[in-house]
This record gives sequence, C-alpha cells and structure tokens, in this order.
Amino acid sequence: MSAPAPALSVEGLEVRFGGLVALSDLTFTVREGQVAALIGPNGAGKTTAFNVITGFLRPSKGLVRYRGRALDGLRPNEIAARGVIRTFQKTSVFGGIPVFENVLIGLHRRGRARPWEILLALPRVREEERRLREEAMEILSFAGLAHRREELGSALPYGEQRLLEVAVAMAAEPSLLLLDEPVSGMNPSETAGFMKMVEKIRARGITILLVEHDMRMVMGVSDLVVVLNQGRIIAEGPPAEIQRNPEVIRAYLGHGANRAGG
Amino acid sequence: MRRWLPCIWVAFLVSVPLWMRNQYYLHILISTGIFAVAAMSLNLLLGYTGQLSLGHVAFFGIGAYTSALVSLGFDLQLSEGYTFVFEPRPVWLGFLCGVAAAGFFGWIIGRLSFRVRGAYFVIVTVSFAEVVKLVALNWVDLTEGPMALNNIPPVTLSFPGLGELTFWKKEPNYYLVLAVCLLSYLVIRRLVFSRAGRAFIALRENEALAESVGVDVTRFLVLAAVVSAAIAGAAGGLYAHYIKIVDPDIFLFIYTVTMVIMVVAGGKGTLLGPVVGAVIFGILPEALREAARPEVQWIIYGLFMILIVFFLPDGIVPAVSGRLRPRLSPARGDTAEEAA
Repeated sequence: MSAPAPALSVEGLEVRFGGLVALSDLTFTVREGQVAALIGPNGAGKTTAFNVITGFLRPSKGLVRYRGRALDGLRPNEIAARGVIRTFQKTSVFGGIPVFENVLIGLHRRGRARPWEILLALPRVREEERRLREEAMEILSFAGLAHRREELGSALPYGEQRLLEVAVAMAAEPSLLLLDEPVSGMNPSETAGFMKMVEKIRARGITILLVEHDMRMVMGVSDLVVVLNQGRIIAEGPPAEIQRNPEVIRAYLGHGANRAGG
Repeated sequence: MRRWLPCIWVAFLVSVPLWMRNQYYLHILISTGIFAVAAMSLNLLLGYTGQLSLGHVAFFGIGAYTSALVSLGFDLQLSEGYTFVFEPRPVWLGFLCGVAAAGFFGWIIGRLSFRVRGAYFVIVTVSFAEVVKLVALNWVDLTEGPMALNNIPPVTLSFPGLGELTFWKKEPNYYLVLAVCLLSYLVIRRLVFSRAGRAFIALRENEALAESVGVDVTRFLVLAAVVSAAIAGAAGGLYAHYIKIVDPDIFLFIYTVTMVIMVVAGGKGTLLGPVVGAVIFGILPEALREAARPEVQWIIYGLFMILIVFFLPDGIVPAVSGRLRPRLSPARGDTAEEAA
C-alpha cells in the first residue's frame, strides 16, 4: 500500500513560556486523508501544538509545513486561507447572532465581493449572497442544525454548540481540519453521533487532526495516534499499537487503561 | 406592509417643510439630522465591530474644518519667502474634501490600532481627538484658533440653465441633511448586510474564531473605521455650512458622549437605533428648554438615560422589535445577561 502524500508536517517544534517548556522537539506528519489524534495528559502541550499550527502562537524553534509550504510568520487568517481550519477547546461560537449567520461568517472565504461592489449593490454581489445562503443551509443540514438556524448561537444546548463550531469550521472549506477536544462534555450518544460526523467529514477527503481525551472516540476514528507527555512525543503509531505500548499505558492510560479497551 | 413602511416614512420626512412653517422647529430637525448622521457613523464602529471610538467627534470636526477651509480658502506662510495661497473652492468640493479627509484619518486610526482592542482602542481614539483639538486651537495661521472660522459659505448648487440655488434658508438645508441621512443609512445598510458586515460582526462576537475561519479582521476593522470616519466627516461638513462658524469647541468631549448615548439608547448594532436615539436626544433638550431650567433639564436627561440603560439594556429599537417578534425575545434576554 502506497502511503498518501504528507499534508501536515510538524518539524522540531519547541515552545517556551518563560522557563516552562511547553513543547520540545515535536515532530510528526499527518498524511492526506488521514485522521490523526494527538493525545496526552492535561498540560502535555496538545492545545499549544494546535495554537502553533494555526498561527495563534509563535514557536521558539521549529517549523510547520502544510502541503510543502512553510506556515511560519503567517497570521491565523492567512493560515486559514491555505485550508487549515481549527476549532477551539473552549466552546467558541458567535454567541450573539443566529446560527445561520454563524455559518455565513464561516463562509467568508468563499465570498469574493469587494467593499465598493457591495456599496454599488452590483448584481454579482446579490448573486454571490444568494449562493452563500444556499451553501450555509447545506452545511447546517450536514451538521444536523437546520432546525436551529434562527436561534442565537449562545442559546443552543452545549452539544449543539459543539456541532455548530464544526459547521462554522466546515463552512471555511478546510482541507485540514483541527478539532480541539470536540466531544468533551458530550454524553455517549452525542459522542457516537459526533464520530459518525467525523467519518462523513473524512469521506469528503478532508484530513483531520484531533486532540481528544475520550479514548473510545480516539481509538474508534483515527489512523494515527501521537502521544504527548510533558511536551514530548512518547509514542506514535496506529491505535492498536498505541494501546499496547507500555510507556503510553504507564504515562497516560495508567489508571484508566480499561477505558481504552473499546 | 413591511416593504412600504420605509417609503411612507421617507415621504413623511420629505413633506415636513411643506406644513411645518416654524423655523425654530425646522432648525431642531436639521441639527437632529446632523446628529443622526454622526450617530449612525459611530454605530458602525461601536455597534457592529464592537470597538468604542471615544474620539469620534474628531472625525466630525475634521470634516467640518476641512470643508470650511476649502470653501473659504486660506494662506499659509510656509517659509520666509513663500506663502501658499489656497483659493476658495465651491462648497460641494469642500464638502467632499471634508469627507475624504475624515476618511483618511479614519484609515490612520484603523491602521494604528490594528492590534489594540477594547480599552486600548478607546484610549487611542480619545488621544487622537485631543491632539486634533490642540491642533485646531494652536495652528492659528490655518484654523484661526479660538477666533473661529467665520462666514463659512452655505451650500450652493448650480443648475445649468436654471441658475444657482444658495442654501440660506432652513428648507433647502433640511432637504440636504435628509438626503445625507438617507445616503448614510443606505451605505451602512448595504455594508452591514454583506460579507463585509458579517466580518465586522464576527470581530465583535469572537475575534479568535473569526480569524480561524479566515476573516482578515484588521482589514475589515480599517474598512469600518474609514467608512465610519467619512460619514462622520460628512456630518461635520453639513454642520459647518449650516451653522457657518466652526471653532475648536466642536471637539468637546461632550459631543462624543452625546453620540454614544444616542447609539446606546437607540440600540447599538441596529440600523435604526442611532436614528431613534438622535431623534430622542436631539429633540428632548429643546423640548425641555421651555418647561424646565437648564439644571433641571440635565437631571431629567440623565434620569431618562439611566432608565433606558436599566430597563432596555439593548436599547429602544431591539426592545420594540423584540415585542413585535416575541419568538426571539427570550434569546435576546440571555445575551443581555451574559453581557452584564
């Protein structure tokens, strides 16, 4: 089996906050179409890695490449423009506006209208607006939120806010989607639903990198698992291998190894 | 019905000078209109991008001074032997220059504050307004300082073959202000219901999320600042050619505060909010003038403001439209609680 081309490569990443080493020599590669998971105990540096990849944080050393192009020095919106889209660990939606408008903002990248065209209300602008609204409806249906479209983002129950986050991210046309603890706080049936959604996203050819604590989810959906502990990679491989790795069991799964059984 | 309502309103506003003969009332309406334009411009920044520009009056003043200076002409001694003489130009050109100059300074403020938000944005804008005021006070060669710019010509329109119309009377000024009001409203409305407007709102609601889906937040904040400043400059131009005198007092902080009150009371982040706010707080002081002494007036004014903020934290317009659409009102209550 020939391996697909590398999509995301993280090369020797190091992040220091003053004296604290949050990440050290982080190197891994996610291939096109893969679902990869970054796991590790709290404080292992998973979210820090996400922040560096998406440009919210500058690394002290190292480099992130996406599809062969270095992302260093780019601002988050420029990285998003290359198709690398993330969600946040802490639920993050546009709370004060309706769900439908949330997704429309997500579609920003697909719009082309320039300010002067908008002020002149050119037919092209109205046509684009109509098209964006259709796409927003499609994405809402995809995420199973069509019935909620008129409600405010902040008025949705927690699980649906997490779905909305993914809908907003999907609207931004990712080719690599980074999900930061997407199912934390979800009940088992919500998690199962979310896993189905991950499969659907992957079926669209989108590469996924996720940070997650829910082992059922991680082992169920990923092709590659990268285990971090105290800022370093301690293991890397397919889920079955990771579950047997003694160092992983000691560092991370130790007191809850039975949870990883699924 | 909903489609016709705006047309009926506009028709009503157009008809006002036909039946209202009282010049004093017309004057109140004109100054209310000028304030409405300024408040709408502030709302674009405060209500949509969520950035409080507490130096907004600077753009208003820059528009007023530029428009006045271009239409009056001026000379500046640049060196011992050379004096730059600027001949008076037509008022409409001055007005456009005022809009452009204000927009330019809006651009500078937008660029300067590309990374500052919240309190820091407030400080940048307040300082900017103070600097502009000091320049207006001290650059006497250009601005006449505290002596003020006098005899500013009123707006003159020339119609080929029909002669000229100079706006000495209240009625043409009323129509001019109404036209600028409608145009500003239209510009803001188009922006807000577009990709650009959604980018403004995204910045207000959740900047990190906006960036993560590819919104160039800085670029859209600059756009909002430019449009907002330019419209404020237009209001300043209207003021200069209507009142016909401009002095550095135009930069008084109280005018910015008045604009903020109009926007907040009317409903920030709504299209009609600043207009409603301007009508209430433009007419209220005049209405109270006959009934109460100034001290009492200010107390009533303040109490009214407190009541509005206390009972209608989102402002008057959202409260009224919430009544009309009760389906959305509980959700609005939630956001208000979160904001508190």
